[in-house]
Amino acid sequence: MKPSAPVRLNAALAWVLLVFLVAPALVAIPVSLTPERFLSFPSGELSLRHYEKLFGSPEWMSSFWQSAVIGTASTALATAIGTLCAIGLWRVSSKAGEMVRAVLLLPLVIPPIIAAMAFYRLFVPLGLIDSYPGLILAHTVLSAPLVLITVSASLAGFDARLEQASRNLGASNWTTMRRVILPGIRPGVLAGAVFAFISSWDEIVVTLFLSKFTVYTLPRRMWNGIRENTDPTVAAAAVVLMAVTLAAFAIWVLAQRQGRSTHQETASER
Amino acid sequence: MTALGTSGTLHLKSLTKRYGAFTAVDNVDLQIQRGEFLTLLGPSGSGKTTILMMLAGFQDITSGDILLDGRSIVQTPAEKRNFGMVFQGYALFPHMSVRENIAYPLSVRKRPKAEIDARVGEMLELVRLTDFAHRLPNEMSGGQQQRVALARALCFAPPVLLLDEPLGALDKKLRVEVQAQLKDIHQRVGTTFVYVTHDQEEALSMSDRIVILQQGRIEQLGTPSDLYQRPRTAFAASFLGKSNFLHRDGATYALRPEKIDLSPAGKGSNANLVSGTVLSVTYFGSQLKYQIAVPGMEAVEVDVDAWRGGGTMAVGADVDLSWADAAAVRLDE
Repeated sequence: MKPSAPVRLNAALAWVLLVFLVAPALVAIPVSLTPERFLSFPSGELSLRHYEKLFGSPEWMSSFWQSAVIGTASTALATAIGTLCAIGLWRVSSKAGEMVRAVLLLPLVIPPIIAAMAFYRLFVPLGLIDSYPGLILAHTVLSAPLVLITVSASLAGFDARLEQASRNLGASNWTTMRRVILPGIRPGVLAGAVFAFISSWDEIVVTLFLSKFTVYTLPRRMWNGIRENTDPTVAAAAVVLMAVTLAAFAIWVLAQRQGRSTHQETASER
Repeated sequence: MTALGTSGTLHLKSLTKRYGAFTAVDNVDLQIQRGEFLTLLGPSGSGKTTILMMLAGFQDITSGDILLDGRSIVQTPAEKRNFGMVFQGYALFPHMSVRENIAYPLSVRKRPKAEIDARVGEMLELVRLTDFAHRLPNEMSGGQQQRVALARALCFAPPVLLLDEPLGALDKKLRVEVQAQLKDIHQRVGTTFVYVTHDQEEALSMSDRIVILQQGRIEQLGTPSDLYQRPRTAFAASFLGKSNFLHRDGATYALRPEKIDLSPAGKGSNANLVSGTVLSVTYFGSQLKYQIAVPGMEAVEVDVDAWRGGGTMAVGADVDLSWADAAAVRLDE
């Protein structure tokens, strides 16, 4: 059966919207392949010189690792905190708990620039400016709400009787969480971790306020690169940034699918 | 494996649960004997599940006490009570195999692996699921899942097993089969069973004693035949089986439909005799169910064994209803 006109129009609109959303990011790909020394579209000839420069530069590589370290550490912290919060609020499930949830979600609503100023004011006297712990802490605060949201969504579909059953069978709260609740909400935890990593990986506003010399993340170096000169290495860095983000996303999708297929395998075994 | 020095005698003392102004369980006193199969029977909202949840430790009590072998357990958290429980919908852990589910209560108690393996093997045999040990719960039928839940709840030899409408999700035919299995398992393990249901047939067929609950109070307590033969209130008479109600000399009597003799008009022979006309008749294979219009009474139900012959009375036919004195049970006000 041929799809009707409205259905096709709908699909066309969706594609236009998708291109509109994605195209600006994709522009970085051709620009990164220009043979020129300034930001431009390649005319005819393509070159990988900017990638060579990117991967050959100790500064860029250092920023790359710094972003990775900060991203990984803040993801681990945010996932742990966000998951525990979500489980706690789910178990309490009271009006007061919902107030607490609203407060915990505030970092998502507050404009990043205001959060940045707040962190700055707080971190100066604590000596956390321009340090790994400072940035990891800030990114953790910003990304924990994302985990809270995804894990809460998973918990909404989790049968509370499983928790009762576990306790009834003699398991402590801790054992119940480890052996019954966490396996049940794994997709939500994983999704939260991926989102947390991505949000730290390309975070710039707060990072601008909190970093100076010692800590210089990838987005930070790109920001400087584009402000101070028009070096196309920035475009190459942007492509790498996107690639890692997509990779994180792909890992998540694969993990989801794997979880489902091992399930089916055990099912088809007999 | 002994059950940690407890034998399984439960004593509920003036047990009460209030939610704000609403009283879910109202001053319930109940002694449950060791090894007894006791059923809490009542419609939804009668407080039966609330009582079970308080026994399990998932709900605080407002006042009163629960004693296990003479010791109060109301301060003991759910995970320390050592009561087995079969949940509505079974609550099997979906990511664990049947074996892992059944082993769970032993593995959280850190029992040695050899003991766990032996005990799980025993339980699998008890519920006849040995060949299904490696399956996941969602790969099994409802009846099989119900047996896994039972094995898991009995695996650590609890003194008391709580069952929350465990057959509710099964179809009718399977339910009858599982009732027999459940009763058989109860006799073999000797654990005290506290069984919650709204299904009178389940209650009648399995229980040693039944507690009929209504609006948080005990309506009547007794053995199945006690309750069926001698209901004390109109609620008990109509909730457990069916009853016709007669009003005589300022008192109300309950009369079971199968205890009424039906005969063509003028052929009735008993002290208690009324005349009426057939409103409807329905054939149920083993029985014929009649609705009879009797002047000055609500429509009277009469069950007649179909094999007794005598033919079916036609709708509109004039009939005599009669019964023995002992058949009509006088109810409390």
